[in-house]
Amino acid sequence: MDVDDLVLFERSLAHATGSHTGPALDAALDDLGWDEALPDDRRAAVSTLFELQGAACATSSALDRVMIHALGVSAEARAAVLPRLGRWGPPGAADRGGAVHGLATAGFSDHDVAVVVAPAGEKAVAATVATADLTLRPVHGIDPWLGLVEVTGAPKHTEIGPADWQAVAMVAQLALGHELVGASRTMLELARKHALERVQFGQPISSFQAVRHRLADALVAIETAAAALDAAWLDGSAQSAAMGKALAGRGARIAARHCQQVLAGIGFTTEHDLHRFVRRILVLDELFGSARSLTRDLGECLLVSRRLPPLLPL
Amino acid sequence: MDLDQFRVELDAWLDEHAQELAHEHPGLATFDEQMAHLSLVKRLAYDAGWMRWGWPERVGGLGGSTLFRAYLGEALTSRDLVEPGIYSMTEVLVPTVIDYAAPALAATMVPRQLRGDETWCQGFSEPGTGSNLASLSCRATRAGDGWRVTGQKVWTSLAQYAQRCVLLTRTGTPESAHRGITALFVDMDAPGITVRPIQTMHGAPEFCEVFFDDVPVPFDRTLGEEGQGWSVAMDLLPFERSTALWHRAAYLHRRLERLLETAPAESLDPARVGEVTQLLYAFRARSRATQHRLAGGGRLGPETSIDKVLLASAEQAVFDLVEEGLTAEVTINDDPASERWRSEFLYSRAATIYGGSAEIQRNIIARRLLGLGTDR
Repeated sequence: MDVDDLVLFERSLAHATGSHTGPALDAALDDLGWDEALPDDRRAAVSTLFELQGAACATSSALDRVMIHALGVSAEARAAVLPRLGRWGPPGAADRGGAVHGLATAGFSDHDVAVVVAPAGEKAVAATVATADLTLRPVHGIDPWLGLVEVTGAPKHTEIGPADWQAVAMVAQLALGHELVGASRTMLELARKHALERVQFGQPISSFQAVRHRLADALVAIETAAAALDAAWLDGSAQSAAMGKALAGRGARIAARHCQQVLAGIGFTTEHDLHRFVRRILVLDELFGSARSLTRDLGECLLVSRRLPPLLPL
Repeated sequence: MDLDQFRVELDAWLDEHAQELAHEHPGLATFDEQMAHLSLVKRLAYDAGWMRWGWPERVGGLGGSTLFRAYLGEALTSRDLVEPGIYSMTEVLVPTVIDYAAPALAATMVPRQLRGDETWCQGFSEPGTGSNLASLSCRATRAGDGWRVTGQKVWTSLAQYAQRCVLLTRTGTPESAHRGITALFVDMDAPGITVRPIQTMHGAPEFCEVFFDDVPVPFDRTLGEEGQGWSVAMDLLPFERSTALWHRAAYLHRRLERLLETAPAESLDPARVGEVTQLLYAFRARSRATQHRLAGGGRLGPETSIDKVLLASAEQAVFDLVEEGLTAEVTINDDPASERWRSEFLYSRAATIYGGSAEIQRNIIARRLLGLGTDR
């Protein structure tokens, strides 16, 4: 996409994510032809939508579509099973046609079939399953608005071919990383506005260095994650995508902590929007690997190889 | 010349001349040896043309993208040919002299700096002027044929080696704050200048006190106009946080890799190794974007404060990990390799202090990037 197209694309997506969520947002994305942008310019399609979706605390089944697109299999299915909490491996069991244990985005049960990827030796294989054959538990949890579904069962698999799970995990991690960055930016904006308006000791609390430095640290954490995600798109490696996701998860937790402290009493109530974002980032951090688990895994790999990942060239 | 071609040809040249470029004193060289070696590397790289790429032709450069400079410093640092701290003065001071010195002066002086024939220093901080730069009091007064400078600077890196100094002086009233500052380009061998090196915690006399006692400076050595010194300083400071930091990222990458190669099994916590690696990756990603913005003609500003905060966090995280993984080397061993780790660990403590402290960077971020207004 050229610059003008991008501006237009972003504007329409901002309108869609700002005014719709859930099935209505899916419908709006269909109207906009967001799906068609995926093969065209995947980076722009994914980074723009997910950052906006995170910023608006909206939900959609875009993650399913991103995963299915990355699989590169021609499946009619428009839903996909995600790994279970904190994990990034395929949600199917090692033996084909075995058990499935994972999570799914809101609206999963509206679909008749879903894609499940299972490990097969060193590789992975994709299959479709009937959602009716699965046990679905709507997750209330810490973020009921996310509408996550826990998926278990041992459904009949219809194999559709070998799957490049690493490619799926990579783009899903980038998408979730952008969503975390978007949510973090909104938290920072909420805290920033509050700091400018809230007066104590005869002046806005934004004039106090303790408050200013917390918000500065939140911005640094967000920009750190954003820079890593941009670089991960450029170098296209699985390790970089995982680093981007981990930095976005950690950055969101840093932003949440500082913004919650600055928003203080009002931010602790349900009368203010902050709590939705605090809830959201805690769950998003756990999808496709949390900051903690991905970081530890990276460290373990490096201590075996004793070599750093190759440098992103200038 | 495009970046890929530059990269390939420079790498080939560095391979070919590896012996001439190599340190005579491997391990931890003395500071004098490091400075002498820096001059040698710059001279060889200048004479072969590499050091001239990315600089304007009017100051002896060969033109082309500033990315060439970024890559040159990265390549020299990655091969352990230069220490990025002392190399950084080129990236910090030369752009300022090009922008603010009289064209003929810049055309004469810049090639000497790039070729390593001269060292330049930056006279900003004073005993009473650290973070609050606008409070400086080193005075320049008009005396017929030129300025007369009297006062004191401190924390002036490399002043004992320097032939020139980019000096901030007070030319307005003591209360004129940022409005009454003038930048001068001073010869360090002018009468009335006394330099006293200061021994630092990490074992190198990296910076100095510099005393000015009625030092004559010709008017044509004024950088910009009288009273414009604050703009000169504000334009210079982002250069402390751009290309020089890209070079520093390459250095940190090399040292972290060396740590991984040498640290005993079980001495490193995988979660910490992972976190430090991610932080360094992000710092490099951020700095890379800054290099490309600069190369695209963008003006650097307060957003580079994020780069500096990231550098400081990454540098201290890397060397905290060094101290965990190579504890004996940092604390009790006395061989040259250990002394180098120890010196670098100690130097990393300054990363949140030099080039605008961590607090000052956060103040800039709060005021300029978050729009939080002035602080109380």
